[in-house]
Amino acid sequence: MSWIERLYQTYESNKTAIGDPGEEMPLLPICHTTQKAHVTIVIDGNGNFLRASVVPKTEARTIIPATEDSAGRTSGTTPHPLCDKLQYVAGDYARFGGEKEPCHEDYLALLKRWKDMDGGQAKLSAVFAYVSKGAVAADLVKGGVLHADATSSRLINEWPDKKSAPEIFRLLAGGYDAKGKSKPWQADAFVRWSVETPGDPQPEVWLDRGLWESWERYYGSLKSLQGLCFVTGAVADLAKQHPAKIRNDGDKAKLISSNDISGFTFRGRFADAEEACGVGFRVTQEAHSALRWLIARQGRRDGDQAVVAWAVSGVEIPDPMADSFSLLFGGPAEEVNGGGYTAQEVSLALSAKIGGYSARLAHTDDVVVMALDSATPGRMAIRYYRELTGSEFLARIENWHRGCCWRQHFGKDRIFFGAPAPRDIAETAYGTWRDGKVHIDDKIMKATVERLLPCIVDGAALPRDLVDSCVRRASSRNGIEPWGWEKTLGIACALFRYQYKERNYAMALERDRNTRDYLYGRLLALAEHMESRALYVGGEQRATNAEKLMQRFADRPYSTWLTLETGLTPYRVRLRAKRPGFLHRLETEIDEVVSVFDGDDFTSDKRLTGEFLLGYHCQREALRPVSAKEGEQEAGEVGETDTDNEE
Amino acid sequence: MKNRVEFKVSGRFALFTDPLTKIGGEKCSYHIPTYEALKGIAKSAYWKPTFVWAIDRVRVMRRIRTQSKSVKPLAYGGGNSLAIYTYLADVEYQVQARFEWNPHRPDMEQDRKTEAHWNIAQRMIKKGGRQDIFLGTRECQGYVEPCVFGEGPGEYDGCGDLAYGLMFHGFDYPDETGVNELHSRFWRPVMADGVVTFPRPEECTIRRFVRKMIPKPPRSAGLAEEGLEA
Repeated sequence: MSWIERLYQTYESNKTAIGDPGEEMPLLPICHTTQKAHVTIVIDGNGNFLRASVVPKTEARTIIPATEDSAGRTSGTTPHPLCDKLQYVAGDYARFGGEKEPCHEDYLALLKRWKDMDGGQAKLSAVFAYVSKGAVAADLVKGGVLHADATSSRLINEWPDKKSAPEIFRLLAGGYDAKGKSKPWQADAFVRWSVETPGDPQPEVWLDRGLWESWERYYGSLKSLQGLCFVTGAVADLAKQHPAKIRNDGDKAKLISSNDISGFTFRGRFADAEEACGVGFRVTQEAHSALRWLIARQGRRDGDQAVVAWAVSGVEIPDPMADSFSLLFGGPAEEVNGGGYTAQEVSLALSAKIGGYSARLAHTDDVVVMALDSATPGRMAIRYYRELTGSEFLARIENWHRGCCWRQHFGKDRIFFGAPAPRDIAETAYGTWRDGKVHIDDKIMKATVERLLPCIVDGAALPRDLVDSCVRRASSRNGIEPWGWEKTLGIACALFRYQYKERNYAMALERDRNTRDYLYGRLLALAEHMESRALYVGGEQRATNAEKLMQRFADRPYSTWLTLETGLTPYRVRLRAKRPGFLHRLETEIDEVVSVFDGDDFTSDKRLTGEFLLGYHCQREALRPVSAKEGEQEAGEVGETDTDNEE
Repeated sequence: MKNRVEFKVSGRFALFTDPLTKIGGEKCSYHIPTYEALKGIAKSAYWKPTFVWAIDRVRVMRRIRTQSKSVKPLAYGGGNSLAIYTYLADVEYQVQARFEWNPHRPDMEQDRKTEAHWNIAQRMIKKGGRQDIFLGTRECQGYVEPCVFGEGPGEYDGCGDLAYGLMFHGFDYPDETGVNELHSRFWRPVMADGVVTFPRPEECTIRRFVRKMIPKPPRSAGLAEEGLEA
C-alpha cells in the first residue's frame, strides 16, 4: 500500500491521541498547528473580561487553528483565525505602542466568517464579542499582565531591573540584541482564550474538540476543487497545497509539491499539476500530521535524513536504528549497569523486550519503515519505504540483534554484548580520524545508513564492502584512539559474524575451531599478551610489536609471525626470570595453537580474512584475568592486574 | 488464438514513478510495474498501429529492493536542480501479453494477419526488441528475452497475497479508445505468489479525465502506401 495511505490509516487509528496534552509534540487535528502562547485571557460567555495570566513555559505549547497560509507565515500579515499575537487580536495594539502593522481587521473578518458559518459555537461568539470591543491590550494592562508606562501608556520595552521584573519579561524580555535589532517584547505576546460559561467543563479553547472539528468543517467548506483523490480512489475535495514542517518546525521541505511552471519535470503529457495528480485535502492533512507526529515521537533525525518505523495501529515498536544497548537499557528510567552487560544478560533482556512488544503488537498489525531525505530545502524524497507485518518485523529486529552480536566497547559505561547501530557502523567503515575524533562525510553516512536499513528490516545480507572496510579498519590500529579501536574491533567482529552466520561463531574462545585465520588471530593475541606482560614487568611503557605489526600480520601472516616470534626472544628471557609460570602457560598455548593448523595452512602467506579478528578478540578475552573482566580495563593494559603468584 | 507472447524483462534499475512524487520531481518508484510501463516494453519490442498490446500478467521474479540515488536533473530553462530518486534495484519480470486488433483503425484491416504478427513478435523478442527497452523511465535500460511464463523459481513463490492499495494502471489514449480524451486509470493490485494479474483497461472502474486530446496516429499502411507501390 502506498506510504500516504498508510499514514492516513495511522492517523485514523490514532484519533484518540489527537491533542494529547501529555505529549511533547501531540498528534494535531487537521488544519491546526502549534504555537507557544504567552498569555491566557479568561472571558465569560458574553465576552466580558474576567482575568488574565502569564503562561509558564512548560505549558506554553498551544494547538491553534490555522489556514494553509497562516501556518506557513514567516513575517507576513495573515492572521490565525482564533488565537494569535496582540498585533492581530488587540484593536488597541497601536495605542499601546505596538510598532508592527496592526492586522486586527483581517483577524476580525476571518473570525467573523467562521463564527457566522458555525453559529453553534458559543466560545467563538464570546471571543468575537470580546475582541470586537478593541480593548485587549488595555485589559491586559489593567489585569496586571502587561505593563505600560504611566504617562505615555506605551508598553514598557525592557524592565530596568532584571531580578524584580514581572513574569511576562521572563518570556518576552524586550530590549535589543547585539546587532541592535529589537528582541521580542510585551507587544509580541501570543494570546490564547479561555471562555468560562457555567456548565462547560472545558473552558480552554485550545483543548476544545468541538472547536477543532468546527474549524475543520469551516476550512474544508472553503475548498472548491473537486476531483479524484489518488490515494482513496474517491472523488473528494482536493488539496491545493500540501503541508510542510514535517521533520521539525523550521522544515520547509514538502513531500508532495509542484511548482512546475518552467522546469518541465512532469509537463508534456500534462498541462498542469492538477492534471497530473490530485490528493484529497483531508487525506493529505491527516497523513502529514501523522508523519510529523511519528517523526517527533519515534523517528531518528540525522541532518536532513529522518528514519521512522511505526505500527499503523499506533502501538510502540522497537527502533530499528538503535544499537542493542540503547534498545534494551537506554531508557531514561532505567539504571544503567555500572560495568557492562554480559551476553546472557543481553540475551535475556532481548527476549523480554521482544516478548513485551509482541504481546502488544498483534502479529498481523502492519509495520512501516520509512526514510526521508532532501537534496534541496524545498522538497523531500522518500529514500526507503517498506511494509511488513508486526511479527515479521519483530523477528527481523531480534534476528539482527542476536546475529550481529559481539562484545561492544562504546565507552566506559557502555560495554555490552549486542549489535551496533547503523550510525556507528557507518562511522567505523568510512569515517576518518582527526584530532582524536571520527569524522564522516554526511552523504556517506546517509547512504550507508540507507544501505543498512534493508539488512535490519528485510534481513538482507550485509554489503560486502562494508564488512571488508570495517575489518580493514580494525586491522590497522595506527592513527586511531585506543578506545576508538576497541569500538572498531567490536563492530568489525559483529559484522563478520553476521555475514557468516552459517559458521556459528561463538562469542567466547573456541579451542576446537581449527580454521587458519581463526588460529592466526589467536596467535597474535598470545604474542601481544606475552609481550605486554614482559613490558609491564620491565616497567616499560610502549606499544607492543604485535600491535604495531597487526596490519602487516593481516596481509602476510606467516612471514610477519616469524618477525614477531623472533622479536619475542628477549621478552621470553625476561619473563623466564620473573614470571616462569606465566611464560610456561603461554608457550604451551602457542604450541597448542600452532599444532592444530591444518597441513600447509600455517606456512601459507595468504591474506587473513576478518575471521582472524574473531580469534584475536576471543583469545584476548580468554587471557584477561577474571578480576579484570569485571572491573573495567582500557585497551593496552591487558593483564596488568594479573598478579602472578607462581614466582 | 495465436496472439499471446511471453517474455522476460530484466534490468539493474527500474523506476515506475508514483504520480504523487512525480510532480514534485523527487521521483519514487512503485514496488511493482504498472500496466502502462509493461505495455510500453511490449511496444518497444514490436508494435504496429494495426494492434494494441494488452498485458495479462506479470510475475515478479526477484525480491523487491529499492535503492535511492542522488541525481542532478537538468532544468528545462538551463542549469539544474538536485533531487533524490528512489529506484527498484535488480529487477526481473516475466510478462504475458497478447495483441488485439485496434478497432479504431479500420484502415489497417488488410494488415490483420495474426500469424504474421505473432511470428514477427516472437522473432523480435528473441532479438531483444526493435527499440530500446526501458523499465519505467528512460534511464533504466531493460533487456527482453523469450521465456515461458511461470517457469523457473521466483523469490515470491508461496508468499501469498500482498496488496498494494490504489495504483496507477495506465492511460486511455484516444487512438485506442476512439474518444478524443485522455484519461488515467487506477486499480488496486494484489500480488499473489509474485503474480499480478491485470484487469483489461475497460474493466478499471476508477478513471480520471485528464484533458482533451486529439490522436495523431501514423497513417502509413506499410507497403500498400502510395508511392511505394512498384
